[in-house]
Amino acid sequence: MVPLGGQQTGNAMGQFILKRIGTMLLTALCLTFVVFFLTNLFPNLEKLAKTQGNARMTDAEVLRWLDNNGFGDPMLLRYGQWLGVAPGWIIKDEESGEIIGRCIDFGMDPADAPRFCGLLQGDWGYSTVSDDEVTNIVWGRLLLTGKLMGWVLIVMVPSALIIGVLAGMREGSRMDRSLSTASIATTATPEYVSGVIFIVLLASSTAGISPWLAANGWFEGRTLFLGSARSAMDDITFWNFTLPVMTLALYGMGYIARMTRASMAEVMTAQYIRTARLKGVSFRNIVLKHALRNALIAPFTVIMLQIPWLLTGVVIVETLFNYNGFGWTLVQAASNNDIELLMAVSIVAVVVVLTTQMISDIGYVYLNPRIRIS
Amino acid sequence: MDPMSWTGTLGPILNPLIVASIAVFFLAFLTQAVMIFAGMRPGEVVITPDQNHGISIPRSPVDYTLMAMKYAILVFLACIVLFFIAGVFQSDLTDQGVVGAVGARFLPVWIALIITFTVSIRFKRVLGLYGKLFDSPIGMVGFFLVMFWVFTAIFAGLVATHGPIDVISQMRNEVPGAFIPNSNEGDFPAYLLGGDNLGRDVFSRMVHGAREVLQIAPAATLFAFMIGITLGLPAGYFGGKMDTVITFIANLVLAFPVILLFYLLVTPEIVLAGVPQYMSMVLFIFPIIFFVVLFNSRYHTQPTKRAILLAVVLVTGALCYFSLISDRGDSDSPLRFWPEVLDIFDIPGNLLIVFVSVVFVNSPTVFRIVRGIVLDIKTRDYVAAGQTRGEGPWYIMLWEILPNARGPLIVDFCLRIGYTTILLGTLGFFGLGVDPESANWGSTINEGRRLLTIYPHPPLAPALALMTLVLGLNLLADGLREESLKD
Amino acid sequence: MTQAVETSQRVHPAARMYAREFKTGQLSRREFLVRSTALGLSTAAAYALIGGAPASAMAHRRTPPMGGTLRIQMEVRALKDPRSYDWSQMGNITRGFVEYLVEYNADGSFTGVLLESWGANEDATQYTLRLRPGVTWNNGDPFTAADVAANFEGWCEAEVEGNSMATRMGSLVDPDTKRAVEGGIVVVDDLTLQINYPKPDITLIPGIADYPAAIQHRDLIGTNPLDHGVGTGAYRVASYEVGVKAVLEKNPDHSYWREAYLDRIEFVDLGQDPVAWLAGAEAGEFDMNYETVGEFVDLFAAIGWEQSEVTTAATVVIRPNQNNAPYDNVVVRKAIALAVDPQVCLDLGINGQGILAENHHVCPIHPEYAELPPITVDKAAAFALLEESGHADHEFEIISIDDDFRRKTTDAVAAQLRDAGFRVTRTVIPGSTFWNDWTNYPFSSTNWNHRELGVQILNLAYRSGEAWNESGFANAEFDALLDQANGIQDADARRKVMVQLQTIMQDEGVTLLPYWRSLYRHHTPNVINAEMHPKFEINVHYLGVAA
Repeated sequence: MVPLGGQQTGNAMGQFILKRIGTMLLTALCLTFVVFFLTNLFPNLEKLAKTQGNARMTDAEVLRWLDNNGFGDPMLLRYGQWLGVAPGWIIKDEESGEIIGRCIDFGMDPADAPRFCGLLQGDWGYSTVSDDEVTNIVWGRLLLTGKLMGWVLIVMVPSALIIGVLAGMREGSRMDRSLSTASIATTATPEYVSGVIFIVLLASSTAGISPWLAANGWFEGRTLFLGSARSAMDDITFWNFTLPVMTLALYGMGYIARMTRASMAEVMTAQYIRTARLKGVSFRNIVLKHALRNALIAPFTVIMLQIPWLLTGVVIVETLFNYNGFGWTLVQAASNNDIELLMAVSIVAVVVVLTTQMISDIGYVYLNPRIRIS
Repeated sequence: MDPMSWTGTLGPILNPLIVASIAVFFLAFLTQAVMIFAGMRPGEVVITPDQNHGISIPRSPVDYTLMAMKYAILVFLACIVLFFIAGVFQSDLTDQGVVGAVGARFLPVWIALIITFTVSIRFKRVLGLYGKLFDSPIGMVGFFLVMFWVFTAIFAGLVATHGPIDVISQMRNEVPGAFIPNSNEGDFPAYLLGGDNLGRDVFSRMVHGAREVLQIAPAATLFAFMIGITLGLPAGYFGGKMDTVITFIANLVLAFPVILLFYLLVTPEIVLAGVPQYMSMVLFIFPIIFFVVLFNSRYHTQPTKRAILLAVVLVTGALCYFSLISDRGDSDSPLRFWPEVLDIFDIPGNLLIVFVSVVFVNSPTVFRIVRGIVLDIKTRDYVAAGQTRGEGPWYIMLWEILPNARGPLIVDFCLRIGYTTILLGTLGFFGLGVDPESANWGSTINEGRRLLTIYPHPPLAPALALMTLVLGLNLLADGLREESLKD
Repeated sequence: MTQAVETSQRVHPAARMYAREFKTGQLSRREFLVRSTALGLSTAAAYALIGGAPASAMAHRRTPPMGGTLRIQMEVRALKDPRSYDWSQMGNITRGFVEYLVEYNADGSFTGVLLESWGANEDATQYTLRLRPGVTWNNGDPFTAADVAANFEGWCEAEVEGNSMATRMGSLVDPDTKRAVEGGIVVVDDLTLQINYPKPDITLIPGIADYPAAIQHRDLIGTNPLDHGVGTGAYRVASYEVGVKAVLEKNPDHSYWREAYLDRIEFVDLGQDPVAWLAGAEAGEFDMNYETVGEFVDLFAAIGWEQSEVTTAATVVIRPNQNNAPYDNVVVRKAIALAVDPQVCLDLGINGQGILAENHHVCPIHPEYAELPPITVDKAAAFALLEESGHADHEFEIISIDDDFRRKTTDAVAAQLRDAGFRVTRTVIPGSTFWNDWTNYPFSSTNWNHRELGVQILNLAYRSGEAWNESGFANAEFDALLDQANGIQDADARRKVMVQLQTIMQDEGVTLLPYWRSLYRHHTPNVINAEMHPKFEINVHYLGVAA
């Protein structure tokens, strides 16, 4: 345990972050190997061969295809190739003398090709299903999901905090009970239920409120909101992005609100708040000036930890609303056993999870002077 | 024949009441919101300034709106209950109406619930934490919802009107309360909540779905808890290298996005590769270890009792364990030496992988919770006292620390069952691993959402069921937490 | 229209015979068109023979205004060598730049695209193909008979993995060398090509109108058109993102041999879930749907889209694979057939949008279809048969893809078998993995697209040892009769053989085939020439949008 304070704090924090980054790399290494292992099990390779080559290949042809495409080496060696610590495979065609290899791009002279081409060299590999470089795919999709997550956080965090603070400032009051029950109800409604209900109510031209509004001539177009977020990929509008954002935000909101409520309720019973009340400080001032800062420390960590948790929701929502972002790519890559795309997807996911965990820890320390780094 | 009405003969009397109560509720809610915005407050305690210093709570207009809301809800609930009661006593379906008939079908569940609640409330003072639950209204509501579905699952055969996969093609997409054309003598003559797009009874599928959901989710959660406890206790108690390693592995699993893990694990290819068998080989050994250590540490001073208990645990444990992981039909099974005679049951690969994955995802969180609690409790005096008495570490962990950690664990258990239910639904949503015709709520919702805009009833029934069950579990957890904190 | 097709000078005698049959009412207009144009008559000439109005497909087509962008909702799959295309969608995108020799029209007739005309000799062993003059590749090379010959050679390479054209080439493929027979493909002059079959074959023209028969440049046989972009069509690929979107735009560097109207066509992929299509349509994300299925037909109509419908020989087969026990036992197969009522499958599977079939793969709209007595359903007798076979305790696992009508039809079959007392489990496999092993599942359902002639499907899917023979049916008598049918040009004469073929299929319980589907497409009212095609074809050159 190192107490925080002065010069020592900087060192301790630096060491702490270094240690965390070290753990993060180790975790990422282990996890990518697990993903690699699972995607490279023989039945999965067979599936890959058949989707890439031909659905009606015989077992012998499958083996031949796998050998010819660099899947013949032992798994550990291929993991090394992917990582960039083992030289890429090279196969020479006996008949034509043509040389193909992992590091030899189409039309490149084999002599010019680098020996290593893996993650460490910045080569993320090739997506078999999209027929494109993984890097070309992942970043664009990630940007789309980033936008979605950004809006979700903008909507979710303030409303969750407000609900939590309102509920927690008078524990046991009627407002507390109704807001708490409401937040429990949102956590009990998974995205695949709420998304579907939203679409029916707000984005269907035959059901819900849209036909009624349209009959009164209150809006242009077919439905009030759009039940498909495809157009939001180019241009986000209120009408095409509200439903996906709401669906995602609603499920996460309840949890943060309950954490905030618990933390707020605890703070409100603290000694210094009681003292302030006895001194005659108005309730409004107590809440805003004294309680709020301390009450928001715990929710902060929860919010950060909520981000990786939202990932499942992102996958559901992107599938439901046809928004081709990161979650959608994950589904495509996983269901087609697109190994290198899936590896990239899992790296990104793992980095997101671990970074948010680290930020949450560091933030917790900064916000709460009583905590020491262990 | 016309489909039966929603409310039957009582409808004309009670429907206006219901509509009125809803209208009053919303009006009162709106007025109250407006008044609060305008700065009005509900009445606060005032100490009357006369000599008695009596306390009075003057009613402000806000209080009257709140009262109106409360009574509106009560009237609404009373009407529904009346429909149910009437439904039980009326014999004709048309008289009962859909609401009444559904209420009547649930009769066994009502009886069981009434008995449970009467007995529990009567003896709540001697029932410990469970009894205290009946002091908390939230906990009671939660318990009611959960037990409703538990009893529904138990009595599914009595409650359901048809089989979960019985098809009557004329009943495709029929509205709730539709009668079956030329139904056979003895068959239930109507689809209470309508038919889905294959002509199956939505009501019966919902009821049987409860059975499927409540079979997997609690069992998977229980396994996750046994694994989490078996690993979390020593990790927290001893610390050291083992703690570091297990914690690292747990964090590893937690860093895996759940959905990616499911997509990697719950596929036909993975089942083909035998991964579920290997995983269950590792995971299901923990419950046996748990029970062995549990009894061993308790009775190691009484050798005969210990021997008997251990033998029972080991024999049944091993029998279940090997039956579970070896598969008669599968020649690639990793455990082919297990004799077929002793292979009492087989779990199909796709169900096993769902089960294993859910356990796998949940246990690290449980592990972290247990470890955290142990780290806290082991500094307490009674643990130190136990150590000085010379009690073994396992005895202290299992019989001193664990009972004192039960509060948070029970709360988390309830929450986790709800979370697992949602997780299973997610799997159904992506069509992973579930039996296609299964009445599982998640997959039924997913199937029904395709035609939601024209036929909303097939997915709505299981969606409401899922929501109420998870809500019930959450409320129950909340009530338990509240009550256990009062200790 | 400028593209009036010239007929070969001589009207084929069989065509005259068809015309007589049509006039006496033995042939429907559609059947007449299929058969006479397959023999080389232009649509106009065919109509002339029967004295009808020249209401050709092209005459139905309106001339759209120039310009505009059209968005089509369709799957965007990774492209490959056209010979191994396995989805109509692939052809629909590349049809914008790699064209076909002949196209099949929605009314059942054939018109030349890169062919100006064609003709066959009396016994249908020799075909003369005359190329359209003045066509150039977009790399500047002229389009000649050498190009077509190279494509034919490529199609005949049976050893190329996934080359489905080889089966369509029939006896033109030498069974020993797995290549085109010696002297089978003869370049007569720059614009004339002669195809010589060792034995009669009537499926050449339908075969080369199919989507894997895209004509590639002579030097680029076996390559992916997306990689080189060389073709004769008016468009080029502007962007291609698998699973998301593909964009075609008019190629400004190429002078197309006829008019093309749209400036830009976007293929939007909204996945396989019809709910998403409807949501996309309501959100105005596309103007035309590739195909509308099941209940969504009514829903799309309800939002004001124009509907176009075509009855086809597209269907679903739910077949046991005879290489797996207990389906090698004919009694079991017959028991299954006896227990399933096609009407229930039609109602539950496709919402009644189709006509009843008779458990054999020849459709009433096929010219050679022979009517058999309606099939009987008797659940008690079915179970008695099953008990007789000794497999009453067998657990029947029925596999289907996780997709709307195929899954529902299979569910309906499962339910009916259960009703009859069979023990049934259902397995649903997601689309991404289903096709890996589709020919080998013990008992599963598969959708089959429309084919122009009945014998075509029988050749593809029921001849012993064929790649797509998913039922594992191997019957020497059936094969021999099929060979015989393949050589009979006259549909009436062929029908006598077909009766036997159809009866064998029923008697052997080869497959359940409950219905023939009607296909639907919807588009916004301003889209022009977007009518549904029995083989899902979209030719972007004809499409347009009204201003």
